[in-house]
Amino acid sequence: MSHKILLVEDDEDNRDLVSFVLQRSQLDVELLIAENGEEAVQMATANLPHLILMDMQMPVMDGWHAVPIIKADERTKNIPIIAFTAQAKPEDKIKTKQLGCVEHYSKPMDPEELLNLIQKYLNSQGS
Amino acid sequence: MVEVSTKHNKKAAVSLPPGKEHTAQDLALIKQNKEAAKQCLLVADRLIKEGDFEKARIEVEKAQKLDPAHPYISAFLDRINYFEEQKKKNPPPLAAPKTVSPSPVPAPPPAPTVGAAPLPVTPAPAKKPVDTAKILPNLKTAPPSTPPPASAPKAEVDSKLEEMRNQIQELTRALLEEKKAREEIHEHQLQGAVNQLRHALEKAWVNGAPKEPEAIACHQLALSLNIPPEVEKSVHREVKIEMYSRAVKEVISKRKLLRSSSSTLEWLRKVYQITVTEYLENESKFLLDLVADQYKGTVILVSEDTKARNDLTNRLKASGYAVVLAQTPELALEKVEKINPNVILCEQKFSSDGALSGIKFMHILRTNSKLNFIPCVLFCEKSDLESLRASELRANEAIIKKPVDFDELTAVMNEKLIQFREYVSSLV
Repeated sequence: MSHKILLVEDDEDNRDLVSFVLQRSQLDVELLIAENGEEAVQMATANLPHLILMDMQMPVMDGWHAVPIIKADERTKNIPIIAFTAQAKPEDKIKTKQLGCVEHYSKPMDPEELLNLIQKYLNSQGS
Repeated sequence: MVEVSTKHNKKAAVSLPPGKEHTAQDLALIKQNKEAAKQCLLVADRLIKEGDFEKARIEVEKAQKLDPAHPYISAFLDRINYFEEQKKKNPPPLAAPKTVSPSPVPAPPPAPTVGAAPLPVTPAPAKKPVDTAKILPNLKTAPPSTPPPASAPKAEVDSKLEEMRNQIQELTRALLEEKKAREEIHEHQLQGAVNQLRHALEKAWVNGAPKEPEAIACHQLALSLNIPPEVEKSVHREVKIEMYSRAVKEVISKRKLLRSSSSTLEWLRKVYQITVTEYLENESKFLLDLVADQYKGTVILVSEDTKARNDLTNRLKASGYAVVLAQTPELALEKVEKINPNVILCEQKFSSDGALSGIKFMHILRTNSKLNFIPCVLFCEKSDLESLRASELRANEAIIKKPVDFDELTAVMNEKLIQFREYVSSLV
């Protein structure tokens, strides 16, 4: 059974790049895509993904609002969320941890590094 | 189209519409039909020797249905006709004993006996065409199976020999044609099979090295298509490198989103299982792919002024040129032939004793037919400008004053490059 990963990202190029990298990984994953926090909340509840990659700056609803909603829902609270953001200040890292994100991954990305991180959280929960 | 011969329960004459390729099943069927046609012709040969031309004709017709392209069908039919005519002219005596050797019938004129007739699946005779020069002497010494009467005039014998010579020449030509046709068929079939394999491999390698079941499926496809192992290996390697190259282009178009292009390329190299050797062998292709949208050409810059040289190099590189440096015109001459640049930029004056001046360097380039069309721009002091411009310049040459105005330089380079590319295109 493949793992489901929910990518929440408003930038099309970034979505394409994550998709490109995941397709070329050895991981057996299904990639779900949400373009903003609101869609992410709905898709997380409906699909119960194994992992969420969450951009923090987005239109409609940003990650800072979407993560607490996901963490507050009994069904989705245990899904690991990786903050996937261009904000790399130490205080941002602390804030994302406080929200309940397991990691803070700063863009621009390194494919191998990102895949290792994804694999770490997928392995930790099985399929 | 597939026709079915019910008597032999074998499919005959497998052909496909243009553009379609034979499947492995079709190829097996063609082979089977060719073999069956060969057997029919062997039977026909025996029947001809026994004098049963009617049955022999039926066998040849069967062979024709099975393998219409067989080059000896018409030869066999001619042979039967010839013997039938001979039989009508000279009916054998009723009690004539059956002789075994030589043949009871006259030597066959249009076609050889089966032993000599190369059928499509017996490659040896086709590979070694009949040497008429070797056969003819034998024919001259060995009497035909129905020798002419002793009283027959010599002219008649000569005429018959001449006729046989012609027939042998005809046979040799047919053998060569058969060989050529067979090679063409083989090449065509192999090309079709390779295309099929390439398509399957591209699908399997689109996202990097395929998983084991996919890799096995591709290998089995190659086996079923009778693709030789070395061809399979070569196609496999080509596809792998092509797919890696495509992935590199794709990822580089998004390089602003990547932390490091080099580590990403290194990751891709692992994903596509590109060995270091393979990478190095194809490096220029990959690099050209990477910079294809920015690369404008290679420039040789000849200057001994380090600061001016570095400034200009940086600006040229930023504008998409690859820059090769030379400190003197002498060193530049060595590099020009090796690098084959798109533009040569050179200072007019050099301080070292005995060094060529820019203009002399330009004159040397003019004398070399391989180099005298490359755009060449000299940089000179304002005081020298008029005198240098007064000397006759060729279409590919230009002189600009120092300090070099980069906009002026790029305008001149672009103009000369356009001329240069037009000239090169006219040569292709």
